[in-house]
Amino acid sequence: MKDDKKITSPLKRREFLRMCGTAIAGGSVIAAGSTLALKSKGAKGNVFWQIDPAKCTQCGRCETHCVLPVSAVKCIHANRVCGYCDLCGGYYISNVKDLNTAAENMMCPTGAITRQFVEDPYFEYTINEDLCNGCGKCVKGCSSFGNGSLYLQIKQDICVQCNECKIAQVCVSDAIQRVDFATAYKLKE
Amino acid sequence: MKKIFSTFVGFASVALAQAQNRFPKPDFESGYQYPDLEYAVPDETLWNVLDVTMLVALLVAATWAVMKKRKPMIWISLVSVLYFGFLREGCVCSVGSIQNVALAFVDGSYQMPWNVLAFFLLPIVFAFLFGRVFCAGVCPMGALQELVNVKNGRISKPVAMVLGLLPWLYLILTILYAVTRSRFLVCEFDPFIGIFRLGGDVELLVFGILLLIISVFTGRPFCRFLCPYGALLSLFSAVSWKKVEITKKKCINCDLCHNSCPVDAIRPPYANTDKEERREGVKRLLGYMLLMPLLMILGALLMRMSAEGLSRAHKDVRLYDMVVAYEALDAPETIPLEVEGFYMRNGTLDELTVVKDSIVAEYRTYGTWAGALMGMVLAIALIRFSVKRRRETYEIDNAACVACGRCFEYCPQNREIGKSDIEK
Ligand code: SF4
Ligand code: SF4
Ligand code: SF4
Ligand code: SF4
Ligand code: SF4
Repeated sequence: MKDDKKITSPLKRREFLRMCGTAIAGGSVIAAGSTLALKSKGAKGNVFWQIDPAKCTQCGRCETHCVLPVSAVKCIHANRVCGYCDLCGGYYISNVKDLNTAAENMMCPTGAITRQFVEDPYFEYTINEDLCNGCGKCVKGCSSFGNGSLYLQIKQDICVQCNECKIAQVCVSDAIQRVDFATAYKLKE
Repeated sequence: MKKIFSTFVGFASVALAQAQNRFPKPDFESGYQYPDLEYAVPDETLWNVLDVTMLVALLVAATWAVMKKRKPMIWISLVSVLYFGFLREGCVCSVGSIQNVALAFVDGSYQMPWNVLAFFLLPIVFAFLFGRVFCAGVCPMGALQELVNVKNGRISKPVAMVLGLLPWLYLILTILYAVTRSRFLVCEFDPFIGIFRLGGDVELLVFGILLLIISVFTGRPFCRFLCPYGALLSLFSAVSWKKVEITKKKCINCDLCHNSCPVDAIRPPYANTDKEERREGVKRLLGYMLLMPLLMILGALLMRMSAEGLSRAHKDVRLYDMVVAYEALDAPETIPLEVEGFYMRNGTLDELTVVKDSIVAEYRTYGTWAGALMGMVLAIALIRFSVKRRRETYEIDNAACVACGRCFEYCPQNREIGKSDIEK
């Protein structure tokens, strides 16, 4: 009899403790769940990352720090802002000698920028997204000597929407922020 | 991949005002038209619905398998690794969602997507009802380790206990970094993302492959000794409504299941007859109980004191250091990119100091809490280690059990249900 009691009492206690634990756990699931549900109410779909071109200083990290093998950041060209200049600061290296399209005169290391003669003296510039690696060299040239019509954006159809953008962590200008669907691009138009 | 599967919605953007205008807009005489460029934004709604549906389906399947003692777990694992891992490339994941939740609590401007909330809550709800069925095979990281596991090498109890503290520390640190908006630790050091994405950071890839090699010889090293979400789930599975049991019938103490568990969650019978030792144990237990508040205070103090150091995880605090170091130089030769960017946006050291101080203050507050929690975790681990419970049969430690169901097929009591049933 005595022995019996010794055996059952700790088991009962254990049972009781377990019930307390269950109650606490259940309560916290419900509490946390409802708080969070309230918090995320009104959130519309996914969160995107985007570069604010007004802040970006073309530090070059967009090319190197994206988790993708070739960065999701691409150069975008705002034709309506462009001056269609012959001597384009984004197309030619600075203090270029001859205005010809030899590779050593080109700003873009991957040959992603092509130009087409429109009418004297205007040239239309186009970015080949498949070649661009987001290095921002042309952007720097264009913002320093031109109208700033070339700028960097995260292409949302390429970006995998990391929970935290790797480039945002190292961006020297704090230019990359979370944005929502409606502001998924910050375009210069 | 994305290009193929996502439906696109064109042109969602804000237009910005123009700053520079060195050259006037050209007057085209040839009737030149500006090219129409549209930038597509993927509409992920469909994917989100599919993800959450898959999550629920797999959770239900795993629960069913555990309850009925069937074994489709390998198929569930395979589906999870292929879908959540390789197809969805490991994002979004429940482990990482801890950070989104923590961020949502402190940052009113951050709106957590509903699918992330579902990924955070559903596994917890299931763990509370049926045990860690999420870990069983629904979590792609657990499933990947499970699939490569061959041998269940045993790690000695004390070592396992010490290593078992790591997930808790990782969890607390993760939350601390998330609420101070410093970094997403789990995402940064996810060892398996590189494997799922077939490329990425070399160090992390090596780490991930190393973990997988270890998982060949001993079950789920990441789950047991690192995963912060597993630690969170164990809180709920320990007191869950229905528990994972080796068999529904009576255990006949045959010891056959003991070595089948990949995470060493099966506790053998223990008589606890040694009165002398028992009294010692009780004494030690009381000691640890008294130790708990002490450890908590100690932890809180230590973390509070290291707030300055810890806050270096925040980008702006690191920038502050760099700017101070740079301005201290007489004739600087090179300027770090960060400092250059800082000056280019007309930052001043005074402003930055204010920012830095407020971040450090945040670290001090949250760090104190984090330290107290760490102390508590340590004390509870010590208490658990010293409590010697009497067990008459082989029992599952439900906090540690990942509900993989491997022990079921070893139990001869289950076999008696009928071979056909098991082999289904
Ligand atoms: S990391 Fe920031 S500053 Fe550098 S190029 Fe990218 S957006 Fe611009
Ligand atoms: S210079 Fe760099 S950013 Fe500009 S188009 Fe070429 S690769 Fe892209
Ligand atoms: S969110 Fe990820 S994929 Fe997208 S730009 Fe940033 S690092 Fe690259
Ligand atoms: S412990 Fe973590 S990594 Fe392992 S299966 Fe569970 S949630 Fe996934
Ligand atoms: S189900 Fe059995 S084998 Fe699997 S973790 Fe739990 S106790 Fe171990």
